[in-house]
Amino acid sequence: MQETIYYKEQNNEVELFEAAASMDLPLLIKGPTGCGKTRFIEAMGQKLNKEVYTVVCHDDLSSADLIGRHLINENGTFWQDGPLTKAVRNGGICYLDEIIEARKDTTVILHSLADYRRVLNIDRTGETIQAHKDFMLVVSYNPGYANVLKGMKASTKQRFISLSFDYPSEEVEKEILIKESYCSDEIAKKLVSIAKEIRQLDESEIQEAVSTRLLIYAAKLIQKGFNPYNACMHSIVESLSDEKEVLEVLEKLISLHFSK
Amino acid sequence: MEEVIGKVWDKFIVKRVSKSYENEKVFFIDKKKSLKIFYHLLGGDKSKEILITDKRNILKKRNLLEKISGMGKSYFLPWQDEKALYLPSFISTFAKKEDNEMLYFWLVAMMSKTNINQNNFLLENIKNSNELINKYEGFKKFYEKCSNELFQKDEELSFIKSLNEKDLENEYINLKPFDFWIYPALNTKTKFEEFEDEDEENKKKKDENAKTETLQMKKQVNQLDDKKKTDGLLIFLPDALMSILEQVNVDRSEDDSFDEDALYNATDLDEITLGRKKANLNARIKMDLDIETRVSEEVFLGKGFYLDEWDYKKNDYLKNYVCIKTIINDNIKAIPLPSRLKKIVKRVQNELDLMKIDKIKKDNLIYGDELNLDSWLDYKTSLNKNEHKQNFFTNYEKKNRSMSTLILADISLSTEAGITSEIRVIDMIKDSLMVFSEALTKLEDKFSIYAFSSLKNTKVRFHIIKNFKEKYSNIIRGRINEIKPGYYTRLGAAIRQSTKILEKQDSNNKLLLIISDGKPNDVDKYDGRYGIEDTKKAINEAKLKGITPFCVTIDLEVKDYLSHLFGKNGYVLIKNSKNLPKALSDIYINLTK
Repeated sequence: MQETIYYKEQNNEVELFEAAASMDLPLLIKGPTGCGKTRFIEAMGQKLNKEVYTVVCHDDLSSADLIGRHLINENGTFWQDGPLTKAVRNGGICYLDEIIEARKDTTVILHSLADYRRVLNIDRTGETIQAHKDFMLVVSYNPGYANVLKGMKASTKQRFISLSFDYPSEEVEKEILIKESYCSDEIAKKLVSIAKEIRQLDESEIQEAVSTRLLIYAAKLIQKGFNPYNACMHSIVESLSDEKEVLEVLEKLISLHFSK
Repeated sequence: MEEVIGKVWDKFIVKRVSKSYENEKVFFIDKKKSLKIFYHLLGGDKSKEILITDKRNILKKRNLLEKISGMGKSYFLPWQDEKALYLPSFISTFAKKEDNEMLYFWLVAMMSKTNINQNNFLLENIKNSNELINKYEGFKKFYEKCSNELFQKDEELSFIKSLNEKDLENEYINLKPFDFWIYPALNTKTKFEEFEDEDEENKKKKDENAKTETLQMKKQVNQLDDKKKTDGLLIFLPDALMSILEQVNVDRSEDDSFDEDALYNATDLDEITLGRKKANLNARIKMDLDIETRVSEEVFLGKGFYLDEWDYKKNDYLKNYVCIKTIINDNIKAIPLPSRLKKIVKRVQNELDLMKIDKIKKDNLIYGDELNLDSWLDYKTSLNKNEHKQNFFTNYEKKNRSMSTLILADISLSTEAGITSEIRVIDMIKDSLMVFSEALTKLEDKFSIYAFSSLKNTKVRFHIIKNFKEKYSNIIRGRINEIKPGYYTRLGAAIRQSTKILEKQDSNNKLLLIISDGKPNDVDKYDGRYGIEDTKKAINEAKLKGITPFCVTIDLEVKDYLSHLFGKNGYVLIKNSKNLPKALSDIYINLTK
């Protein structure tokens, strides 16, 4: 028996996800780095008993990487399904992480899957697959990275129902920290207030604020016996910026919370 | 000799009394940036500045030594108002440098709490201190250690130890300043308002005849004359002028020119005179220029040369009809990137970093470094192999965007128009050029910048700001900074000239980026349809030569002629010119992807 994936609900996202899954609607999840998007999908996959096919998108992701390609073995060439095709055939959640990293022309192949048709056309084999009744398409991206170059086509975006994630509230985040790292209530409280302070900075000072994931790392290090100051320096401060002044101030902040 | 002895005595007695640690001094200037970030960390208002505070007098009993040394009368107290936080220019209270530094952070942390006024001064300070001590381990240690240090040094203060929130009377006591506290703002509001009223009057007066520098000089002289009736004579000697200006020159109204060094040096003055010269600032700068002979000179390169112009009525070119005069501004003062633009440049550059557009993958090549298995398999599985192109290779090209961009800025008189009361279109164009140049330099793309305005067909002024060979440097920034609105907009001629320059570049991609604020027009027949037809023709010529023209127009609404001239996707309208610098970079990146 597989261990249950821990996920702490922030708003009503579980309800929305279940509704979307039951109505065959594709889902778009937005949110900053490390706020729990991927964890959420995995937890939901487990809850709804669907396999999750995760594809992390990048610049060079071609449609063949999603749909599949011909491969060679000793008998010649054969067709190998890609993750998307697998999910479409067998049912399951196809999760495209950081979808804006993929080129716009790649994501166009999702169009026929993401509306009422729910079919996937495979040019190379001439096949048209009707999606399995348990197939669900989920994509996510980080609006912080959205820019002119990358961004979803409006026509792609408009096929999804959207769910916006943010960093969890203080109480929730504290609970997550304790649950994930078994750290003490006091440590969790301090880490959360450090995070709250860092998240007040804007993008000109820091590229992206500290994620829940980094806080968990820090808590785990502390739990392992690291001095809290050092743990925070390694897991939070150094990961966030390379700029001298910003580092100096973050270091100060940590030293105010945890003395050396 | 007397002076020397005086100085020695002063040093001795001051040291005796002040009980500070000169060697452990921490300066505000070194910490300013960090303090600002720290202030934001604690949720402070992002629009507030962090500045140096002035001395203020505190009425309290002084001991004999203090009286002898002249100290203990006034202090640099930290305070804040709705515009800024004001901190001492240095701190040397404690025996350890790190503690002095920590005090700065403490003060900023104190200021991130509620504001302090005359009525809640003691209560708030104690309350806020306790809050900080309870929340932050680091501050707790610091406060315990360092406040004790102070209490031991100064018995006057030791009563603070026993103070607590409950038994406090809300009254402002004139006691010796305590280094951990924030003080109420100085009550200067009424004074400032008076100043502003007067400024506006002056501005109006000035606007009437602000056409030329000389007039302005005269005006300035008159104004000074009005204000200082006693010494009108001196005014006409340049040196004396300078001395008068020096007298009022601590300019506290403009962020850019906020000279911290000057203020720092001025800490020994008991008073700093606030000049009423906000509105005169321009005039002052111009006079400075005169005296230091830094006036930029326009140098005409050659006598000019002739270009054709399209006459739609005749349906033919008018041969050698327009005279282009190439101008370069000489004797330019090189300037660094203005600090007001640093933030936005940083942002644009961060974005470029994220995009990593320096390495470009190319698929389906006949030759290349890597085999592209996909296309080979395609070939293997395709039924009709004869029709397959057999381009099996992939290549990564490094930083080879092969891009040349020519930026053509319209600096006609209409750019003099204001966006707000302080910013003109031309200022926005200048800022955009600077931000944009930074971005292009970062991208390592080849680019050049030209600006133009015209006065009939005989005088099309074509300013060289940066040509393709020059490196982007402080001189170029200086040239951008010196751009002044000229005459009219003979766009066709400027485009033809730019096309000629771009043509000579051997890049694969050539972009002609036009920044303009309106229609092509000139005082002669070059207006309405004539101007538009000529411009259209010039654009088509450029396109034929493999150049992509693109227009960024600063206007309130889309005018029909734009899509006629540049095509549906050949232009972009920017309504809010404040976004122009960033928008321009975005557009460029999108265009040249």
